[in-house]
Amino acid sequence: MSAEVDFGKAALLWSLPWDAAWVSAVSFVGPAHVAAGNNLGEILLWKLPEKPGDAPPPERQFVGHTNGINRLVCAEDRWLISASNDHTLRYWDLQGAPGEPVKVVLNARTIEEAERNKSSGKKPPSPLEVEVHTQAAAKTIEGREWITGLALSHDQSTLITGDDAGQVVLFDRAGGAEKKRWEVKGWAYAVALSPDLKQAAVSERYPLVFDTGRHTAVKLWATDSATVQHDLTKDFKDMQIAAAAYSNDGKVLAIGRGGEAEGPNGKVFLLDPATGQKLRELTPGHLSGLTDLCFHPDGQHLASAGRDTLVRIWNIADGKMVAELGKPRGGQFKDWIHAISFSPDGTRLAAADMAGFVHVWQVGGRGEGMNLFSITCD
Amino acid sequence: MNDPSSPRHGPAPAAQGLCGPPFCPRHEHISRRALLKGGLATAAGAVVANWGGLFNSQSIAAEAKQRAKRCILLWMNGGASQIDTFDMKPGRPTAGPFREIKTALPGYRICEYLPKMAQQVGKLGIIRSMRTQSPDHPDGIYHMHTCYKQSERMPHPELGAMVAKYLGQEDADLPSFVRMGPVGNAGAGYLGPRYAPFSIDRGGKLPPFTSPYLPAANEERRNELLRSMEAEFQRENPADPYESHRVAKESAWRFLRARSLFDTSKDWPAHQDLYGASDFGRGCFLARKLVEAGVAFVEVGQDNYDSHADNFVCHKANMQVLDPAWSGLLIDLERTGLLQDTLVVWMGEVGRTPVINNRAGRDHFIHGWTVVLAGAGIQGGVIYGSTDADGRDVAENPVSEGDLFATIYTALGVDPRTKHYVGKRPIWATPEGSKPVKDLLA
Repeated sequence: MSAEVDFGKAALLWSLPWDAAWVSAVSFVGPAHVAAGNNLGEILLWKLPEKPGDAPPPERQFVGHTNGINRLVCAEDRWLISASNDHTLRYWDLQGAPGEPVKVVLNARTIEEAERNKSSGKKPPSPLEVEVHTQAAAKTIEGREWITGLALSHDQSTLITGDDAGQVVLFDRAGGAEKKRWEVKGWAYAVALSPDLKQAAVSERYPLVFDTGRHTAVKLWATDSATVQHDLTKDFKDMQIAAAAYSNDGKVLAIGRGGEAEGPNGKVFLLDPATGQKLRELTPGHLSGLTDLCFHPDGQHLASAGRDTLVRIWNIADGKMVAELGKPRGGQFKDWIHAISFSPDGTRLAAADMAGFVHVWQVGGRGEGMNLFSITCD
Repeated sequence: MNDPSSPRHGPAPAAQGLCGPPFCPRHEHISRRALLKGGLATAAGAVVANWGGLFNSQSIAAEAKQRAKRCILLWMNGGASQIDTFDMKPGRPTAGPFREIKTALPGYRICEYLPKMAQQVGKLGIIRSMRTQSPDHPDGIYHMHTCYKQSERMPHPELGAMVAKYLGQEDADLPSFVRMGPVGNAGAGYLGPRYAPFSIDRGGKLPPFTSPYLPAANEERRNELLRSMEAEFQRENPADPYESHRVAKESAWRFLRARSLFDTSKDWPAHQDLYGASDFGRGCFLARKLVEAGVAFVEVGQDNYDSHADNFVCHKANMQVLDPAWSGLLIDLERTGLLQDTLVVWMGEVGRTPVINNRAGRDHFIHGWTVVLAGAGIQGGVIYGSTDADGRDVAENPVSEGDLFATIYTALGVDPRTKHYVGKRPIWATPEGSKPVKDLLA
């Protein structure tokens, strides 16, 4: 299914600019499109060229969300599904007819900041204005609170969401009907569904400081009965688990420590979902916390991203890091890579960069004519 | 140590540190008969107040409630974000992800995560134009507890110590200044240890030294023996330190008798829904109990708003604790008839930047932030001052630390220009030029 990959030769293809706000979510939509959401609730879609070259402009804007986008997933290379702080889950049909054209300024924040700080003598850059076609959501599902967790089952039949009302919900992906719901303590955070749909990994948090109400937990649930199979909270005491993903064969569950952890503690942990036992701890961890995890379609590799502006690729079999993409920007005040996504054929990886970019790397296949350059965004 | 010859006020009120109006009329003071009824006669013939017993009588408790104003400070440790609470900037680049909700005050909206407080805004005097001077935590905590800069090297007393001095009951069983959780860092300063805070943990638990070693009867016999020996010793060796020691011991013994008031285990379940099941909520409930029992000043701290990273999840979680606790406190104070005499202050040491940094955080901010007052002496439903469109600076009616404290003292009936001497140096309760915000005063 996927091209042979050589992560050691991964090369940055494009850093697509979009700095209206933080780019907070990203997903490939089929092999040729990438969609990204930001913390204003905007979603853009780019069609990626076959070969490296100039950064392509976005072609479509999905409109309707009124607050930050937390996660994006794609089904059937057609449906983009978004989870937002506006309490909704929305479906966008790529085969839907495009709507009215609108102008989007891709460097709006840079211009606004430069204009505000005129006294510094820096001239605002010229606007990177592009025309995109808007498109409304095909379906909207109302929730109760910020929907921070969203994952699609491997067979694409089922969605799982987790929200800040502590609700974990399984939906029939195609129709959007609710299949199961349960409540966890605090806020549901990271969610993932096992390939056989029988187990869900859910992390919980209530991020108070110095208060007995503070809460973190991570549990593996039986989805048919909504009961806890394995409570891993003691093994991951006081850790906010920000991301979770099952391997394609369901034999490995990867979870990652988020929040702003001290030092390089944003680690990936590999678990046996059948027992809940820790198989491996991947080091080094992301400095200041991990944000997202994504298994490669080859089933043998895992990508992690973090608050250190790095994307790391790990070999599942031996736990070794095989590639590190991006560069740490250093200093106390850093940007984050919020989210990552592999293309369905496994040849590209996209990353949502808080600094206002969607980075796309070539990680395999299509190697001919690859432009092996790197870009830093600091 | 206050200056009774202050030219601004007549001798009697100035000596009390009281300003007027409103003064506390004589009939509002607890009567001698009521005091004796609630007192305990000791073997030595002395009468000491016994607040626990005193408040068995509802009429006497009601009389005591009228006696003086009190203050509860809700301290938002680390500095809460004004833009994410009471001074929202919808549609602006500084807005953040929280949405507005309507309040009981037409046209005024606050954060969606303060829905219960939205119903209480008619009680609030909201200052949206705090422009202060100390941007960091230790100096900000000091400054916002004393209204003086920490760098002045003068040991200024905290608001709580001043209130304890001017509104506290000298011979009460209970301390006049109680605090719990993350709170002030200045203590009683030049007012001396008599007005020092009595600190308990954030859940209201008393320190271990407050547990008596012996059964009550044995303890009392020992105390009587000590009293008699000290009295004899003092007759032959009259000196202030011995008297101070005796007074401190008497104070501690009185406190031991009243300490059961701090135990909320029995009445908390009935109040948990109102205040919310949290340490801070329970602290607010205890604060209500304490002011009802006559404690002049209670500070309850809530950790931790210092959200340089993850500001929004931090504030969201904190507000979900704050909203029921604070609104529950106001409702409970009103229900028990205490709100008109109890000033509730909500503040921290700094506000938070309008700019959202690249850790999803907001940093310290002193150029335009929010403090909220309610209750005694405060005109409810008043929004005072404003910030500019993005909240980057005060747009109108800046309020300084001194102005805020002058407002608080005036609301409590304490003269903000009360003068004390440290050695020969005169020190005023608020810095020169401080003015109360009249629009906020009832």
